Amino acid sequence: MARLPTGGRFYCCLFLFFTALLAGCMNLQTQKALQKAKTSGPDLVELEEVKFYPQKAYQCGPAALAMALQWSGLSIEPEALISEVYTPACKGSLQAVLIGAARRHGRVAYPVSGMDAILKEVAVGHPVIVLQNLGLSWYPIWHYALVVGYDLSKGDIILHSGITPYKRLSFRVFENTWARSHYWGLLVLRPDQLPATVQTMPYLEAVLGLEQARQWSASVVGYKTALTRWPGNPGALMGLGNSLYMLGELTGAEEIFRKACRLHPTSGSAFNNLAPGLSELGRRQAALDAAQRAVNLGGPLKALYVKTLEEIQGGVP
Amino acid sequence: MHFIRRTIKHVSCFLAFAIFLVSVPFNQADAALVKTETVLTMAQGQKARESVLSFLDRKEVQTAMKAQGINAAEVKARVDSLSDAEVARIAGQIDSLPAGGGALGTVVGAALFIFVVLLITDILGFTDVFTFVKSQRR
Repeated sequence: MARLPTGGRFYCCLFLFFTALLAGCMNLQTQKALQKAKTSGPDLVELEEVKFYPQKAYQCGPAALAMALQWSGLSIEPEALISEVYTPACKGSLQAVLIGAARRHGRVAYPVSGMDAILKEVAVGHPVIVLQNLGLSWYPIWHYALVVGYDLSKGDIILHSGITPYKRLSFRVFENTWARSHYWGLLVLRPDQLPATVQTMPYLEAVLGLEQARQWSASVVGYKTALTRWPGNPGALMGLGNSLYMLGELTGAEEIFRKACRLHPTSGSAFNNLAPGLSELGRRQAALDAAQRAVNLGGPLKALYVKTLEEIQGGVP
Repeated sequence: MHFIRRTIKHVSCFLAFAIFLVSVPFNQADAALVKTETVLTMAQGQKARESVLSFLDRKEVQTAMKAQGINAAEVKARVDSLSDAEVARIAGQIDSLPAGGGALGTVVGAALFIFVVLLITDILGFTDVFTFVKSQRR
C-alpha cells in the first residue's frame, strides 16, 4: 500500500471522523425535542379519528390534504382535490398551492416547523402534514405524509403515508427525510381551533389568508378565536371588522371598529375603516366625524384617510 | 352570415353585462378601507423596531458601543430613521442569537453578537465593516 503523505493522512482521518459523526447523529434540536416530549407528554400517541386515504401515483398531496380536511370536519375525497392542488408538470403539489387549497375550503393553514412543534401538535390531537424528501438532495423524491402519532419508547413516528396507514418510521430516518424540506409542516384547522404552538403574527397571517381567499365567514371566526387568545389585539380587531364589512354585516362591523377606536385611540386606520360603513348605514355626520378624526391623526396612511373623507363628502347626503 | 352576426350580438350583449357586473365594485367605499394586510405589516414593523431598541438597551450592547466611542442616544435616534425593511433585517438577526447554551454555544453566541452589533452600527453609519451594508448617510 502506498504511504499517504502526512497531510493526506490527516485529512483522511478528519474525513473519517466526520463521516462517523454524521452517520449516527440526529439534529441537536430534534434530540432535545424528544427529551422534552418524554418528560412532559404521553409516551404513545396515535390519533384514531384521522381517516386514511391511500394515494394514487404521485398524488400524495391531494391524499394528505384530504385526510387533514376530513379530520377537520369536511367530507371530501382526494379525487375532488386533484384539480385544485395537483400540478401535472411537476408530478406533484406545491406547498403554497396546498396552503391555498386549505384556505379555499375555509380552513386555517398554519405552517409549523421542527420536531418540537409537531410533537406538541400531535399530542393535543392535531395531525400535521409534512413534506419529506425520500431521496437525496441531488435526486429528490418529494412526498407528503400526515403525522398521526408517535411512540417515544420505540423511537418511532407514526404516519399516514402513501398506501400505508399508521406507518412507523424511526425518528432518525424521519428526521433525515424531513430535514431536506427544511422541516416543512402544515396544520389544517377549523377556524375556531388554535394550534398548540400558536404565535400571534403567524396565526393572524394564517387568518388573513382566509380573508384573501374571500372566505369571510371563516375569517370572522378565525379573528374571533384570535381575540379570545389576545383580547384587544389591533390586527385581529381590524381583520374582524373588515371581514364583517365584506359580508355586509355593517352594524357588526361598526361595533368592532368602535371597539378598535376605543382601545387604540391613536390608530387612524380604525377611525378610517369605521367611516364607510357608517356612511352606508345612512349616518353621514357620524361617518364624516370618523373620517375627519382619521385625517387628524394622520400617519403613513394619511393619503388614504383623506380619500375616504373626500368620498364621503362627495357622496349623496 | 346573418345568423353569426345575430349570435355575436347576443353574446356581446351578454359579455358587456357580465363585465359591467364584475367591474361594479362590491361596495362603493371599498377602496378606502385600510386592508388587514396593511395593518399587520405595519404592526410587524413596529414590533421589529421595539425589539431592536430593547436589544440596544441591553447592558453588554451598551458596553460594546461605549468601547467604540458610540453615543447610545444617537444610535436610537438613528434607528427611528431606518426603513421598516432594514429594521426587520436587524430584528431577524437578533432573533437568531442563541440564548445561552454550552461552551461552544457561548463562543458562537459571542461572534454572532458582535456581528449583530456591527451590523446595526454599520447601517447607522458609525462603523464600516461589512461591504454589503449600505449606510443611511452615504
